[in-house]
Amino acid sequence: MATNQDADAVVSDDMAASAPPMGIKVIAREFMRDKLALVSLILLIVILATVFIWSFIIDQDVVTTVSLWDSYLPPMSMSEDPMFEGTRYILGTDSAGRDIFGLLLIGARNSLTLGWTVTVVSSAIGIVVGILAAYYAGIVDNVIMRIIDFIMIMPQLMIIIIFTTIVPNYNVFTFAAILILFSWHGQARFIRGRALTVGRLDFISASKTMGTPSLIIMLREMMPNISSLIIVNLTLNFAGSIGLETGLSYLGFGLPTGTPSLGTLVSYATNPDILENKAWVWLPASTLILVLVLCINYVGRALQRAADAKQRLG
Amino acid sequence: MSNKKRYSMLASTAAVAFLLAACGNGDTEDTTEETGNGTDTSEEVEEDAGEDSGEEASSGDEVEPVEFDTRVENEGEAIDGGTLSVGYVTDSPFTGIFSTELYTGNPDAVVMGYMIGTLLGSDENYQIDDSGAATFELDQETNTVTMTIKDDVLWHDGEPVKASDIAFAHEIIGHPDYTGVRYSGDLANIVGMEAFKNGEADSIEGITVVDDKTIEIEYQSVGVQMLQAGGGVWGYAAPRHYLEGIPVAELESAPEIRENPIGFGPFKVDNIVPGESVSYTAFEDYYLGAPKLDRIELETVPTSTAVAAMENAQYDIFQGMPTDQYENYENIPGYTNLGVDDLAYTYIGFKLGEWQEAETDEDGNIVEPAQNVYNEDAKMADKNLRQAMAYAIDNDAVGSRFYQGLRRRANSPIIPNFSDYYAEDLEGYPFDPDRANEILDEAGYEDTNGDGIRETPEGEELVINFASMSGGEVAEPIVEYYMQSWERVGLKVELLDGRLHEFNSFYDRVEADDPDIDIYQGAWGTGSDPTPEGLYGRFAPFNYTRWATEENDELMEAMTSTKGFDVEWRAEKFKEWQEYFMDELPVIPTLFRKAVTPVNNRVGAYDITPGEDPDTEGVGLHTLYLISEDRATE
Repeated sequence: MATNQDADAVVSDDMAASAPPMGIKVIAREFMRDKLALVSLILLIVILATVFIWSFIIDQDVVTTVSLWDSYLPPMSMSEDPMFEGTRYILGTDSAGRDIFGLLLIGARNSLTLGWTVTVVSSAIGIVVGILAAYYAGIVDNVIMRIIDFIMIMPQLMIIIIFTTIVPNYNVFTFAAILILFSWHGQARFIRGRALTVGRLDFISASKTMGTPSLIIMLREMMPNISSLIIVNLTLNFAGSIGLETGLSYLGFGLPTGTPSLGTLVSYATNPDILENKAWVWLPASTLILVLVLCINYVGRALQRAADAKQRLG
Repeated sequence: MSNKKRYSMLASTAAVAFLLAACGNGDTEDTTEETGNGTDTSEEVEEDAGEDSGEEASSGDEVEPVEFDTRVENEGEAIDGGTLSVGYVTDSPFTGIFSTELYTGNPDAVVMGYMIGTLLGSDENYQIDDSGAATFELDQETNTVTMTIKDDVLWHDGEPVKASDIAFAHEIIGHPDYTGVRYSGDLANIVGMEAFKNGEADSIEGITVVDDKTIEIEYQSVGVQMLQAGGGVWGYAAPRHYLEGIPVAELESAPEIRENPIGFGPFKVDNIVPGESVSYTAFEDYYLGAPKLDRIELETVPTSTAVAAMENAQYDIFQGMPTDQYENYENIPGYTNLGVDDLAYTYIGFKLGEWQEAETDEDGNIVEPAQNVYNEDAKMADKNLRQAMAYAIDNDAVGSRFYQGLRRRANSPIIPNFSDYYAEDLEGYPFDPDRANEILDEAGYEDTNGDGIRETPEGEELVINFASMSGGEVAEPIVEYYMQSWERVGLKVELLDGRLHEFNSFYDRVEADDPDIDIYQGAWGTGSDPTPEGLYGRFAPFNYTRWATEENDELMEAMTSTKGFDVEWRAEKFKEWQEYFMDELPVIPTLFRKAVTPVNNRVGAYDITPGEDPDTEGVGLHTLYLISEDRATE
């Protein structure tokens, strides 16, 4: 019996070791193993909290008011405009005498909100379309994929720029809609690829044979199996969306005039003089973009590893 | 998606972005489009083309308007020949149509200036004198203009410039197949021109080639503005012997215009890289004497790198330096900045009516000519509202803060360059928000619902749509500043479609009287004729505000009548009109501008004074010389 007991013990040990660690625990363990990702995560949370809380405290109208007397004041200088007497500009001012620090906070909030909205909405569309294509396969898949192929071959950046110049009543919402219009297909294609493999698995076939409704199979059986990929993709795309928005704003086709954005702050650097001598105008925004995107990417990669057992560090 | 793939995608996006930045600027920033009006009477100018000079001291501790010299002389022995390099600062590449009759954009005019030659010269008041390649005479009695070409004026291929070449220039524009934009009322004024244009006549009846050198042109009527350069006489010649074989419809694309153009100027074209550079070589048989330089190399420089190019002393002369960066190149060693008043001003226009096309009866005869129709119910039709808006903005501060004093508040729609006609003592609309509030209160624009925004006297909400151009570093802050200033006096002004508009689409919409536009910010190049009829007359398509009143008609008529050959009387009428205009205020003239030309210290002499004798050193291109092999850097 002793042998048997030993065998049992071995078996139960094996059970404990092979039971896959699930969900949040894996992620937490992954972050603990990767200090860079952990630091990034903390930094990211701090930045997001600061930006969102602080930007609601300051008054956007005051920040965007043009002051002819205050243009290009270096950091920490006092306002020279009688209207703003006693104001100190922590990060200096831009050409129109607007407070860079205020612009930075509000701009970061706008850029982040826009980037997140675009990512979430386009991912949602992408997931729906991708899973539909994968589940029904055949002709449905074919039609959807040809449409996606068609959108993919178009020069998207150019088309976005043209759209932003021709839509009447251009505002934040139309801009977001245009971005979503041209970013869902990448997600759809990606999700479809993963969902296809899941859809071929036996338990799906079994479910189908048992007569489970298609909707339930898609939502309850296929989606949870690719959920980790969705989360990873969401994170990485977030960085991409921020980049796209700031890039467009940099070119002058982004958020409407008068809406502060990180991209508009960076675009001041197109002028060689500002690039060289007035770094306070563009450097904070550029640094913030760099830090944000790097943080998101490190966090995203940690999540990615957590989602794939082969790559895990812990 | 692997990370490697992700990054390579990012990299290619960045590459596209830079490329786009380059062409984006091209469209918006430096475009100066010349439009319709035949001779250079008026053109739409892009926002940051030039700047302003100033006699008027601004208040307080503001930056004083900057004064410039118009002539520089550097001491030293002239070197033999040499190559002068010119940096033409522009973001819109020149199209390369080397023909006065066919070009449309200002960049073409600039590159053409070195080789095409000046037929009619002008003095400091921009009046035609005999300093060009031909003499000019206007006979009021017979309504004729006589031009006589001086001896020894040769085309670059050695053929003499003949009277029939001037006739040929008219024939190109008047040709039924003509593709360009120069045909205008001024040319239709020539006897027989319309018949020729319609294809009813084989030649223009009013143009007589008297002999090889003399031409007589008969007009239906002559006005005093025709004495002005660009005032209605087409004073250019086209080489008949060179271009005659080409159908007029194909001229614009012909290699004789695009690749191997000829003129009678001091330099001839050696090589053209379209949109980028032109090299010129000296034309030894130039009628004022062989040029001292061997070559001129002209290259285009984007606005964003102009200052860097100047720091590296890449060019001897910079044309069209951006004025909003003046403080960056103010003191670059090795260069002297010359400046003149630009023939342009910026303004804010109020849409007050619309353009009505000509009405014809069944036979196609014109019953009612095309004209501006004033609408007294327009949103901006109340003169008090317009005046209040003018008082609410501080253009003195805009000029001194955004343009470092290179622009200043305009007080009249006539620019100071036309010193005889400019009403210097008009006060205009200095910054006075209290006065603005007072006017609005009196006129009944009051805030009735307590939201801090004024309603119309009828109690309706008042939202004014403002159209403005993108381009230049300061376009956006200035527009923001204006809107915020108006808000401070309780007027709600919103940007049309929530954004700034690209140069061409902006003017397309303004020209088409887009009902969504209530006010717009534009700029006029005035050309060298002070007569404002082309911009504010009842029948002027360029009168974008569509403002037309009988009193204005009367004054316009007086300014262009034959009685105006009496200059003093005419100047009086000009001043009367300016007073009337500034009171009615269909546009707020906002800024006068100054254009800066940095010149390297190795250029012996350079002079941009208007109307200076071309034989004076530094004025005519043939008199330019260098005093060193290398560009000065200190």
